Amino acid sequence: MKGAANTSNKLDPTSFMTSSFIRYLVMVQKELLEQARSYKLLWVPLVFVLLGIMQPVSTYYMPVILEHAGSLPEGTVIDIPMPLGAEVLAQTLQQFGTLGMLVLVLACMGTVSGERLSGVSAIILVKPISASAYISSKWTSMLLLAWGSLAAGYLASWYYTGLLIGETPIVQAYESMLVYGLWLSAVMTITLLFSTWLRSSAAAAFAALGGALMLTLLASLFPKQLGWTPGALSGFAYQLAAAGTPDSSTLSAAVVVTIVCMLGSISLAALQLRKSLAAE
Amino acid sequence: MNESIVIADLLPILAPIIVIQLIIMTIALVLCAKAESTRGPKWVWVLIIIFINIFGPIAFFIAGRRNEG
Amino acid sequence: MTALLEVKDLTKAFGTVKAVDGIHFTIAEGHCVALLGPNGAGKTTTIRMIAGLLKQTSGQMVFKGAGNRGEHRELIGYLPQTPSFHNWMTGFEFVVYAGQLCGLTSAEAKKSAKELVERVGIAGAAKRRIGSYSGGMKQRLGLAQALVHRPKLLVMDEPVSALDPIGRREVLDLLRELKRETTVLFSTHVLHDAEALCDDVIIIREGKVALQGAIETIRDERRKPIINLQLENDESSRQWLALFIQTIRDEKRLANQLSLFETAEQHEGAASFAVKDVDAARQLLIGEMARNQIKISKLEVGHSSLEDLFMKVVGE
Repeated sequence: MKGAANTSNKLDPTSFMTSSFIRYLVMVQKELLEQARSYKLLWVPLVFVLLGIMQPVSTYYMPVILEHAGSLPEGTVIDIPMPLGAEVLAQTLQQFGTLGMLVLVLACMGTVSGERLSGVSAIILVKPISASAYISSKWTSMLLLAWGSLAAGYLASWYYTGLLIGETPIVQAYESMLVYGLWLSAVMTITLLFSTWLRSSAAAAFAALGGALMLTLLASLFPKQLGWTPGALSGFAYQLAAAGTPDSSTLSAAVVVTIVCMLGSISLAALQLRKSLAAE
Repeated sequence: MNESIVIADLLPILAPIIVIQLIIMTIALVLCAKAESTRGPKWVWVLIIIFINIFGPIAFFIAGRRNEG
Repeated sequence: MTALLEVKDLTKAFGTVKAVDGIHFTIAEGHCVALLGPNGAGKTTTIRMIAGLLKQTSGQMVFKGAGNRGEHRELIGYLPQTPSFHNWMTGFEFVVYAGQLCGLTSAEAKKSAKELVERVGIAGAAKRRIGSYSGGMKQRLGLAQALVHRPKLLVMDEPVSALDPIGRREVLDLLRELKRETTVLFSTHVLHDAEALCDDVIIIREGKVALQGAIETIRDERRKPIINLQLENDESSRQWLALFIQTIRDEKRLANQLSLFETAEQHEGAASFAVKDVDAARQLLIGEMARNQIKISKLEVGHSSLEDLFMKVVGE
């Protein structure tokens, strides 16, 4: 056979690392291409932008809408105090936390389980790639989608809030976005873990959303005891957006704990993938 | 009298919302037309996409298509 | 001849059931080897272990030229029984992607993919989405993606079983060409496919190797002369035949070394005898029949086929 391909870099550990990294990049590229071809890369951010615009717009027009609802008796004076811009931003994040998260989780639920169900993974995983590179590539592309959507939606919200309600310093918005993005990343990571673990995509989405809800609930029920858990992050993000000053040491603890948990989940997912291959 | 002013004010602000909704709806319709097999009859999906604001297209993106892996 | 792959005592247990039970074989470089056996014999399990998709319970596989990391997946091209792909990709894109995953640069992968889609005969459809491919095209695309990094060993699981007769013929022709360039191992339950393509055959049954070796050798060594006899269907002829066969079986039971017959089988008015010495056996038969005035309608001398052997080995 002519043209020996890739036999030279097997012995040298450094070149093995780079070749392994290149394969990871190839897989990320493939994931992004898949997102683009299925239009996920377009519609998910658009949904976030829509949510982002809706919040300030509906707040601004709330008095008008109420007035035109028509059921009010003549002469009623509607007096709803216009909220601050920062408060509207915090409400936007809450919108992202319900509808936005639902959309993201549902869009990514089949990322591993779908490929295993269709059987593509059999043809991909016999290639000389590691389970962790495979999982990491999925994770990277999911996070890119989540952060891209969040940034687009939040920017739109910030712009409209400034236009209609009141300017907010962008630094404040930026900080809250970072914290909120970390929370979304954690939820994406849980989705990936369940998608690897469970056979059914729907079950994976259900488990991931349930898990996220549980984390948030626990953190809000016991803010003192569990303020350092990932579930507290969304609360911190709302506080930051609404110009509050959260306890910085608890916040940084939550950030560190979340990052560690995410890394742990990725390793667990890779391990699970390897194990389920051996058992099939 | 106050009403006409409100609508004139409203339009430039609401335009982006309408445009985005139209884009999402169009993508969904195009994908629905191109899909080889949908879960359930295609014409039902078309109605859902057109008449259920935002949630219709999203539902189609997530659950509407088969064998697209 | 050097061994490309040595499989030693390979075992896979699912719970208490041993799907593959200590099989042992060697694949020589440049050979085409068929893993032959009935359904459920453990072929797919063996293939999946060699491909690295399944971890063995015990035993070893030694690849010549595998790196010190024990990474032998780079040396293998694998085609599953019914391959699935990313349906949203085009055929060409998938082959390039497979090449890059095997460590080719983007340019190398594209070059190799271009040659291969041409080679396997899907060049015309290479720019179409895989979702629109037929079964035969998918199988050929599967071959292209398995070969893109020029593997030392091409491993296939029942490559033609799921295809219609035309697709089957096309893929077999393609394999006949490919086996000149690389070592091939494939599983099949169809003896004919193995015979048409392979140098060596490994027959497995219930997770164990029942018989292995070069097809030619097996054919020659195990080939036995056979006499087929057909009588007219009258009462006295049938009775004589039954009696005669009974005598042979009795001799056999007494381990009579002088017996000219190995086995005898009767089907209505016909019988087939596996014999040691064709001439002597023929003389004896004709003599006996003449003395008893038996009405012969046909007497034929031939050899047992590989098919007979396969049925015997597998059916035992």
